Amino acid sequence: MKNARTRTASARLLVLAAVAMAGCSGASRAEGLDASKMPEPVSRDYEVFAQRCSKCHSLARPLQSGIEDDGFWALYVARMRRQPGSGISLGDTTIILRFLHYYSEEQKRAKGRAAEPPPSLALPPVTVDAGEPVR
Amino acid sequence: MSPFHFRDTRVRARLLPMCLAVALVVGMVVPLRASAVERNFAGSVQLDYHLVPSQPSVNARPIGFDGFTTEAALKVSADISEHISANVKVCYGCHGFEMNMAYIDLRVADEFNVRVGRFSPSFGSFNLRHDPANHRLSDKPLAYDMGRMLRLRTWNMGVLPSPFPDNGIELNGNHWFGEDVEIDYAAYAVSGFKGDANGFDLDFQQSRSGSLYYVDNNARPTIGARVALTAKLGGTSDMTVGASGMYGWFDPNNLLSYAIVGADLVFRFERTNLRFEYLARRQEFDISDLSRFAYAVTPNNGNFFLKHGAYAEVEQPLSKTVDLVGRVDWLHRAGNVLREVGLARSSSVFRYTFGTTFAVERGFRVKGSTELWQWTDRDASGNKLDVGFHLAVVGSF
Repeated sequence: MKNARTRTASARLLVLAAVAMAGCSGASRAEGLDASKMPEPVSRDYEVFAQRCSKCHSLARPLQSGIEDDGFWALYVARMRRQPGSGISLGDTTIILRFLHYYSEEQKRAKGRAAEPPPSLALPPVTVDAGEPVR
Repeated sequence: MSPFHFRDTRVRARLLPMCLAVALVVGMVVPLRASAVERNFAGSVQLDYHLVPSQPSVNARPIGFDGFTTEAALKVSADISEHISANVKVCYGCHGFEMNMAYIDLRVADEFNVRVGRFSPSFGSFNLRHDPANHRLSDKPLAYDMGRMLRLRTWNMGVLPSPFPDNGIELNGNHWFGEDVEIDYAAYAVSGFKGDANGFDLDFQQSRSGSLYYVDNNARPTIGARVALTAKLGGTSDMTVGASGMYGWFDPNNLLSYAIVGADLVFRFERTNLRFEYLARRQEFDISDLSRFAYAVTPNNGNFFLKHGAYAEVEQPLSKTVDLVGRVDWLHRAGNVLREVGLARSSSVFRYTFGTTFAVERGFRVKGSTELWQWTDRDASGNKLDVGFHLAVVGSF
């Protein structure tokens, strides 16, 4: 009897918490970015980034890392690619680095610093071999 | 050796991680681009409140840790060159400060990397995301559980409490077959878990405490390996299947062995994660004193017990900020027990967890979950059920 009451109370509390969290979602900010506000080629790159880089950790990790340098990103992504079961192939690396270049430039622009010219989005602008300059 | 010397050693053992933590913080504020070495600083903090209303007076202290717990981690990764990188991570939790990572990777190629230092050896799937900022529930799967497991002393925690940092060497690597299939592998030799000479089980406190030095207690390494295959099932889905094993001796005389095996299967369909994992440990114990056992020791195969653990888990985003998580855990123990433990020769527990997380801000989440524990053994009050609630906030940076 006591156990049944405890279970019922637990279920009610849980549903309440879930509804409250869902209701609050409009007043919060997602961990990722809004792809609809990005130019078309970048939004496709972002989807690959968001899919691959949220497998083991939240997107907040890379997006708030403070990294703005392409060479640093190349080493960082190469290290992540080698994590067991990362699912990040060499082809994915190219796309992810292309998005991160865009993101870094946007971050610099937002901080009021001169941004480098946007990369050509038609061709992969990066060399995936870690340590090589990215451009 | 005088007791004063021993106490000094213990004090030093505790001070060292604290000093390293301070060094990490100092490293954070020093300009990171001062040299060619690329460093990245990351960390996380989780505060969890655990309530167990099913216990008398809503006080779970006799069977576990309730109330507030904080887990914090500070990590520095450094890419020294194209072939060398280093990671140092200091964690703070129920045990105080601990050095969870302090290793260097020497990568000859993607297929061959040498890792030396202190690290959690490759085992299973969960350990890759054991940081509280990386998993959506407050508690770990039962097979990997530590302090948040109810009746943790009776059961001596899960099969392989995570994380399990140790000193040693690991050879690992991965290889892609085209763009769709990846295989990764690891083989290692580490100090291994510790226990007493007449031990009955692994002593996880001794294994991760500086009170008996952070060194091997029997000079014989524990060895292990893992292999996993990841296949892309489409543009936004993949699957990983893996197998792991570990074998070693835990007593100072190298007489009592333990063997842990595991298998894992993870599916990812867009942002939905579906995980299955199974672990088992065969644990030898000392039978020189038969009077300490609750049940008669059988002539053959009476010197070990088996512990099995498994879970199935699904993570489903409900919106851009809200995730739902459901998990079913199972833990089973078969074999003799010490008299004072009070477990049956064969005992099981099922735990049903339902939780949700809410991203308040990028890098800041609120987690809430409820747990229903279903035991085969009655507790002192005659109960076979427990209910627990977790409410936590976690930030990552």
